[in-house]
Amino acid sequence: MNGRKREVARRLFAYEFNRSTHKIGGEDERSPVYVLTPTGMRCNRVFVVGVLLDKEETRPDTNFWRIRVSDPTGVFIGYVGRFQPDALETILEVEPPELVAIVAKVRLFEGETRNFASLRPESIAVVDSDVRDYWVCETARLTLERIKQMEERSSEDAELAWQIYNPDLEEYRTIVRQAVQSVVAEYGVVEEAKEKAAREEEKEEIEEIEDIDEFEEEFDFEEEEWDLSDILGE
Amino acid sequence: MEDRINELTEQIVKRFKDSGFDVDAKEVSKRLKLLIFEFKVPESEAVRTVTNYLMKELDISREQLVAESPLVKIADITTPGKWVSLKAKVVQLWDATSPNVSQVGLIGDETGIIKFVIWAKAGKGEVEEGKSYLFKNVVTDSFGGRMQVNVNRSSQIVEIDEDVQLPPRELEVVGALIAIQQNSGLIKRCKLCNRTMTKDICPVHGKVEGYDDLRIKGVVDDGENYYEVILNEDNIRALTGIGLNEARKIAEEKLDRNAVLTELKTRLLGRYFRVVGTRGERYLIVREVEFLKPDIKTIAGEIL
Repeated sequence: MNGRKREVARRLFAYEFNRSTHKIGGEDERSPVYVLTPTGMRCNRVFVVGVLLDKEETRPDTNFWRIRVSDPTGVFIGYVGRFQPDALETILEVEPPELVAIVAKVRLFEGETRNFASLRPESIAVVDSDVRDYWVCETARLTLERIKQMEERSSEDAELAWQIYNPDLEEYRTIVRQAVQSVVAEYGVVEEAKEKAAREEEKEEIEEIEDIDEFEEEFDFEEEEWDLSDILGE
Repeated sequence: MEDRINELTEQIVKRFKDSGFDVDAKEVSKRLKLLIFEFKVPESEAVRTVTNYLMKELDISREQLVAESPLVKIADITTPGKWVSLKAKVVQLWDATSPNVSQVGLIGDETGIIKFVIWAKAGKGEVEEGKSYLFKNVVTDSFGGRMQVNVNRSSQIVEIDEDVQLPPRELEVVGALIAIQQNSGLIKRCKLCNRTMTKDICPVHGKVEGYDDLRIKGVVDDGENYYEVILNEDNIRALTGIGLNEARKIAEEKLDRNAVLTELKTRLLGRYFRVVGTRGERYLIVREVEFLKPDIKTIAGEIL
């Protein structure tokens, strides 16, 4: 521990992450580096859940991977190399697209025109949509709390964020709302689909009884008759 | 300037009054003025000098004088090297590991629990578990990354007739399991002392026989705080269906004890859990744990 506390894994959406350009700390080698986000959050470690869109070796055979992970608001860019063995192990195995939960340290690259924030994953785990949905809600709640603190200018970091970013809070509120709605919409769809399926099942049952002979006839086939090579493009 | 002298005078008079001694405010004020105005002595030194003079005059020892350290809550102790006073209850006493230590353990108030050490040199009476005390003039300190308070010669421990409330010991946390640490999975413990062994070696008993155990040392994080948790075999079985026997089977099949840890990481890392457990000094000892089954529609509705 060396007297240093563990950094909390902060929650934020890609939209806000990608607009973060300001670094705090890191003057000497041992002091932790934080990225200040537009809604006044100081983060060093984050927890994000999203879709791994693709993975790509930066150069062939370097075992250094660039990954893109999308949440409902945008895309996180991350880099995984041999110094993150746990994350690397998963990256080598998983084939995108896949839902993943990532614990990562944040990095700020100093570009010529502006700075770019990226992730350096400590661990990557394949998860299901329940995890993603809860993450979106949790991240939304915490982001809205920060937006409120920005309005009240109730912390030093909020004050600093005003000075550096002068953010349009309404824009962030809209993004957060859209993210949550995307999750709810999906639930609506799932439920509707379930209802529809239930209704159709009923209907089919009736039809089935009537058409049972025809049904059997039609689907009485040999497996070889189905040649999938066209569809699969083989 | 005159106001400042009056303020300091009041402080000194009050401190003696609180300890049951009356001193002449005029006398105090005169001495302070002399030191500060005439001799340009810094305020704090002037106060100290006048206090020492009065103690000598009245023939009282430092112990008899009430400490001036501010009364704080345990949650507010964040920096080492501060003199504070605490109203707290003794939660637990441990065996002192060194002859220099008279007593060591945990004390708590309604805001938190902190380790305390009474140095043998302090020459204080002993405290008892479950009783509440006023810990006057103790020094905050940081040891191994955790805050603690030390009781030294200038400190005072006074039993109080008040039952200091402790924070709820049992805690419910909802968060993501963001790390599973070393020494998790299928581990070996020393048969003599139950300590975890690395490479069949007990840190105390050396190369001895060990027995298998299954546990996870991990970190649950809710985005605002983190909790170091310990899951035992029952917890792990409840979540994954993998108990000690299944773990042994995995290790045998893969010819690698680490395979168990890998399997647990794959199944548990990055998921959300509801955890109920007892708060120790560092770890949350988990009693119940389950995968979080969120009602997204309701939660999302509340946000929108």
